[in-house]
Amino acid sequence: MPIADDAPLPQPDLLAAIPRLRRYARVLTGDVHRADDLVQDTLARAWEKRRLWTAGSDLRAWLFTIMHNVFVNQRALARRDRMHVSLDDGEGSEAWQIPVRAGQYTRVELTELVAHVGRLPTDQREVLLLAAVEELKYEEIALALEIPLGTVMSRLSRARAKLRLAFADAPAATPLKVVK
Amino acid sequence: MNPLPVTDADLNAYVDGRLDASRVAAVEEALAHDPALVDWVADARRHNAALRDALDPWLEEPIPERLIAAAAGPAEVTQPRLRRWLMPAFAAAATLLLGLAVGWYARDVDLERDGTPTTFTRQAALTHALYAGDVNRPVEVWAPEEKRLVTWLSKRLGFPVNAPDLNGTGFALVGGRLVAGHENPTALFMYENADKQRLSLQVRKQRVEGGEVAFRYAVENGVGVFYWIEDNCSYALSGNLDRGQLLSVGRVIYGQLAALEAAPRK
Repeated sequence: MPIADDAPLPQPDLLAAIPRLRRYARVLTGDVHRADDLVQDTLARAWEKRRLWTAGSDLRAWLFTIMHNVFVNQRALARRDRMHVSLDDGEGSEAWQIPVRAGQYTRVELTELVAHVGRLPTDQREVLLLAAVEELKYEEIALALEIPLGTVMSRLSRARAKLRLAFADAPAATPLKVVK
Repeated sequence: MNPLPVTDADLNAYVDGRLDASRVAAVEEALAHDPALVDWVADARRHNAALRDALDPWLEEPIPERLIAAAAGPAEVTQPRLRRWLMPAFAAAATLLLGLAVGWYARDVDLERDGTPTTFTRQAALTHALYAGDVNRPVEVWAPEEKRLVTWLSKRLGFPVNAPDLNGTGFALVGGRLVAGHENPTALFMYENADKQRLSLQVRKQRVEGGEVAFRYAVENGVGVFYWIEDNCSYALSGNLDRGQLLSVGRVIYGQLAALEAAPRK
């Protein structure tokens, strides 16, 4: 049921969502400060549009939707103003450190992986992050990015194929049997 | 089994564990005949895991104040009482912020290893303070609709939860709500006694290595928190009670849970 016009969004849930929003924004924008700007704008927009959120529904998924909209609008403006937006043209900006916990991957492997993800076209990068890292459902991703479900799946498939190519020692990734 | 040929979308969903059950057999059949496909799936899963490994530590960074302020919302909307509860978080320590940042979304946090064993108690205390301090809307669903509340929360958490009966200790159920978001959604049950003191019980799925029942008691900013993990589920009982009172309520809850022979958790 929709919340009353003046009802606040649940602050603890918003606070709890911030680390994930920041993380996604970083890989999206390639820059720590721009990422935080994007998160701040997203939160401000969420408050403006709070009537659109249904109490009890997934706040995080809704916030990703808002962030996507804000991001797209900002990129459109930036393109119009001929501002250089890094990572869009394939140049990685290593504006972050990858902290590495003891685990099975080395810092080098992880840094390379994130760099490759950063070089993916934005639309593939978004889908891969939301599916693999944020673990949103495909339907939620479709809503967040305002694309059909089929497009989510095809972008995901292309993203994975590109990653695999980037890491392959062996010959190029086997083309999948695509049957509609 | 659904025998249609295996598609790209099937394979990707299989990688992410989101494939419809009716399609799994078909995919596994295809994999059994195609080692290259097996490699593809293995690589994709490895990249998933590696990406999470690489990016999860960012979740633990302290949150900049300007983002906390942005989350608090415009002044004319946020209830003044709630803003006051948030203010200590601004001023306070990075430790409190860190506790919140590690938050509900930290994946597979190993309490032994991460060096801040009271992180969860801090979160529980803050969450308790935020809602217990809310006069108007401490809960989303009120006690008269307990059945609906329990059904809703059980569905969201993915396993059955119940509101313990604390009437014997003088605490009546006020109601409950769902806290935080997607990965480890948390059920919160709020209770109140005749003196208008409030207690909350927070319950969520929690994987822990070692499998021990670890009991912890801590006081965070005046809020006592009694916390334990059992059966891959964490429980945090919070309130402005003294230690003895809190622990005795905790014992009541623990006893009821044991008696319930709780349904299997995922």
